[in-house]
Order: sequence, then structure tokens, then C-alpha cells
Amino acid sequence: MKEGVKRIGEFEWEVPVGYTAGMRVPGRFFLSEALAAELEEGAIDQLANVATMPGIVKYSLAMPDIHWGYGFPIGGVAAFGMENGVISPGGVGFDINCGVRLLTTPLSQRDLKKKGELIERLYEAVPTGVGAKGGIKLSNRDLDEIMLEGAAWAVNHGYGLPEDLVHCEENGHMKEASAKDVSQKARQRGVPQGGTLGSGNHFLEIQEVREIYDEVAAKVFGIARGQICVMIHCGSRGLGHQVCTDHLKVLEGATKKYGISLPDRQLACAPINSPEGRAYFSAMAASANYAWANRQLIADMTRKVFQEFFGLKYEDLRLMYDVAHNVAKIEEHSVNGKRMKLCVHRKGATRAFGPESPDVPSDYARVGQPVIIPGSMGAPSFVLHGTEKAMEATFGSTCHGAGRLTSRTQAKKHIHGREIRDDLLKRGVYVRAPSWGSIAEEAPEVYKPSEEVVRVVHEVGISRLVARLEPLGVIKG
Amino acid sequence: MPYEELPHTADIRVRVWAGSMEGLFAEAAVAMNRIMYAPCQGEGVSESVSLNAEDIEALLHDFLSEVLFLSEVRGVVFCSAEVRIEGGSLNAILRGEPFDRRRHGCGPEIKGISYYGLRIYKRDEDYVMEAIFDI
Repeated sequence: MKEGVKRIGEFEWEVPVGYTAGMRVPGRFFLSEALAAELEEGAIDQLANVATMPGIVKYSLAMPDIHWGYGFPIGGVAAFGMENGVISPGGVGFDINCGVRLLTTPLSQRDLKKKGELIERLYEAVPTGVGAKGGIKLSNRDLDEIMLEGAAWAVNHGYGLPEDLVHCEENGHMKEASAKDVSQKARQRGVPQGGTLGSGNHFLEIQEVREIYDEVAAKVFGIARGQICVMIHCGSRGLGHQVCTDHLKVLEGATKKYGISLPDRQLACAPINSPEGRAYFSAMAASANYAWANRQLIADMTRKVFQEFFGLKYEDLRLMYDVAHNVAKIEEHSVNGKRMKLCVHRKGATRAFGPESPDVPSDYARVGQPVIIPGSMGAPSFVLHGTEKAMEATFGSTCHGAGRLTSRTQAKKHIHGREIRDDLLKRGVYVRAPSWGSIAEEAPEVYKPSEEVVRVVHEVGISRLVARLEPLGVIKG
Repeated sequence: MPYEELPHTADIRVRVWAGSMEGLFAEAAVAMNRIMYAPCQGEGVSESVSLNAEDIEALLHDFLSEVLFLSEVRGVVFCSAEVRIEGGSLNAILRGEPFDRRRHGCGPEIKGISYYGLRIYKRDEDYVMEAIFDI
């Protein structure tokens, strides 16, 4: 471990104030020995840099999937006081509300005799990859409504069920959204991409529930061993990216204007209550809403394919839950025994609210919020639940996934997409992607093992394991 | 092609070179398209770009961002570019062919050009640029 970092528990590490000049609070992160061996040194420096930002409370935190990111580390969580704190696009990431949802089905593996055909149908139905345009035609007015209403827009237009909304974080819509500070450019990128998966690590996966760790919680979430599920992983596409780019420019100016001194220019930020801070927050919320609508539209396409292919009813595919991985939100948390309204940034981290939290849907209240951790292509995914410990230790947050180990160029040089496809097929995973290159870039071996990441959050107690899902078929962008 | 991909964990880092600054801008635009889509030679569609920026790096950033925006929104794969730079202003004509998912839809989707890591320098007789494309 890097010099100056203190181990304070089996999986808990502290970066003391003074590690970097100007730190206002200590840094805290969670890692096992095995994950510590893979840690990029730059990520710890980034965690310490975040601790210097005005108004940060308690700790600058990072989850066990920590890695080097833009300004903030990926896997980072930081909360800022509303009165004296800041908001920063670097703490949210470029793909605003990149997230995951899990649909459950009444099917089991023996229903999937024509799995290849099913995957091909889904590949046709869900636009993926570079240049993909929406299966759903949106007008400028639709886009305006989507940015305000989120997933509810899709449901109100026939692309879902009212109960889907209850099973989305924030009910699939941030009320602080405004389209006023979303540029023309962002809008033009948003219109054609509604209902598209995108590329990179985004996917739609058919999975089987292979193991249940917590029978009670699994039952409450409606998950059973042997059940077939569909996981959708995507975000706000070009719109969210453009909003981030546009506002970074403004906030770089604002950092100077408000006399905020930062150790890294990528941490550009503004007071939460400044015009610049408010403009970013409302445009970010509009992008988050777009992402929720996007996942809702893709879920609708998926349900229709399953309806036709298996003769199921639309409502047989139930939305278990939908979580955001990249977002900033206004939440109330307990800080040193005092309730405080905070702007919580989660960048590559998942909200993990505990039992009886008012933001957890009533049918899940006694267990806590479902947490969905997608594996990389070919690797297992996990369902966990939020805990009281997370509320105390991490502002109700946990990990989001695995984190890359190898660069895409390295992966393409040493790994051949065709071999990966054949290898996965031997293990019963059918992969459909636009090219061999896009399979190689996302090969399972370029990621840290997701099992180890979830083991750490489970052991620390900031979320607890409920189920493991293994992939059977993947559509990649 | 006068470009190469450099190691980067999460995104795409590239180095592009050319005999002149204007050539460098043109090659950078073509390289970005080449990374996202399959190689192309079409000339049927053209778009023009006019920009101003405070320095040469900012000009390159804004130019590539505009090329990306036009490619995504208009659905065009750009195969060649002609660039003129005078002081802080740039005028360019981009030529290419309409995007076709079956022929071009094979690469990673670049979503933006990072300010971080963007630099232009001379290497012997060549002008060289390095940039990180967010995907």
C-alpha cells in the first residue's frame, strides 16, 4: 500500500488529513489484500484531492472497485453541505445516470432451448453500438418532457407499467430537472438516441439466478434459484456526455470566479447554490431522467420480444429494480449525530439505502433497497441489499461493478474476439456484438473479479449479498 | 494511416502526426472516424466547420468535438478533411458517406474529446497530437 495510507480494519483503509495539502477531512476506502495489489496509486491521490474540496463532510470515500477517473476516482462517494459545499461534474462522470435494471421472468433454463434465436431477436429489437438510432422516434417536445419526467414519460406513453416506476431509484425521475441549461447540441444528440443501448461496457444480458445467499431478501425481491432474468446496463448516451462537457467549461470559470483553490483542474466545481452550480445540477438531473426513460424504453422492447417469443404476458417481466451508478443527489444523512441535507456525489457507486428508509419502495422496506452489480461480459452479476451500516459509514452507498484491469488496446492486441466468443459459447454464454473488436475490448479477463468486489462490501456490511446471477446470453454495443 | 493507439485503461488514447498543422487537424478528424467506424472512401456528403478558439489545443479540441457532433447527429462517416487555420480561426470541409450500421457499425462509440491529456508538439519535421477520446 502507498506510504501514508493507514490500515484501520481488515478491509478498511484511511488516508489521513495532511496526505495532500489542504485536505479538510480524511479519506476512507475499502479493499481486500487481493484488490489492494491491483490498486492504481493515482486513484488514492484523487481520493485525497477530493477531500480538499469546500464543504465536504465526514470522509472522501471510495468503494472496493476504486480506480483512476476524471478528477474524482471511479468508485468515489463524496457528500457536501448545502450551505458551504460544492457540486462537481467530475464527481458524477460523463455518462450521467449510467445504471442498471433487472427484469425477472417466470422462465427457467429449460425454456431457453432456442437461446441463440432469442438473442438474435433481441439484437434486432434493441439498437446497439456506434451510430445506433432509436427504435422510438422522439420529437423535440418529447425530449423536453422526457428530461422533466424521466421513466414516467415512457410509462405514460405506453412503454411500461405504472408499478415499474415504484421500483426505480427516485421513482425514475429527479424532480430538480430543468431543460433550460441543456444546450442545443445536447438536445440534438439526445433526440435520435432515445431507446438505444450504446457501446463500450453497456449490455443487455439474459441471466440465470444460480445462487441465493439470503432466502428472505430474495423472496421479498421476487427472485428464486433457477429463474431467468434480464439485466439492462446503459446510461444517458450522447446527451449526458454533452451536458457534462458543456458544464465543465462553465464550472472551470466558476472555480476561479468563486476563488476555489483545487489541486487538480479536473475537480472544477461551483457552490451548490451558485447560478453555475444550480445550472449544472438541473441539467444533470434532466440527463439522469433521460437515462431512466432510456432504460425504460429498452425494457419495453425486451418485454415485447419475450411476449412474442415465449407467449408470455407483458407484465410477466417484472421490474425488480433500477439503480443509478453516476449521479449527484440531495439527500438527508446523519453527520456526527446531526441530520444534514447534503449533495451526495456517487461516481461509479450505487445507492444502498437500508431497511425502513423512506426512499425504499414499501414492498422492499423491511429488507432495504436492492443493489444491482453488473458483471462484465461473461462474468457473474449480483443482487445485494442496502444496510443500516451503509447509512452510517458511506452515506448509504456501495460498489458498482468490477473496474478494468487492462486497456482496450492491450485487450485487442492479446485477446481475439472470435476466441472469446467461442470460449463463452462453450460455457453456455451466447454473445452477439457488432464486431470481434468490441467483444475483445470487453473480454472477462480485462476486468477485476466482481466476486471479490462484492465480497468486500458484504464483509464490511455496506450491503449484503442476496443472489448471484450467471450470464447465458449477451448483447453488446 | 498516420496514427496509433496508446495504452489507456478505460478510454482511447491516440497519437496522430502529419507534415503540417493543418494536415494534423485533418488526420486527427479522419483517425477519430476510423477508430469508431470501418475504413471509408466516400466523398458524397460534405459538411463545413468554422471555429475560433483562444489557443491551438482549444481549437483542436473544439474542432474534433464538432466533427464528432456532426458525425453523430447527421449520421455521416467522414473519410477526408481539408482544414485551413489562420490565427485563432479554423475553416474546414469534411467529406464522407452516410453511416450504414452493417458496414460501419463495428467500433467503439466515442462520446467526447477529453481536455485532459490533449497536447500538440513537434517531433522532427512532424506535427504530433495526443488526445484521449472518452467512450
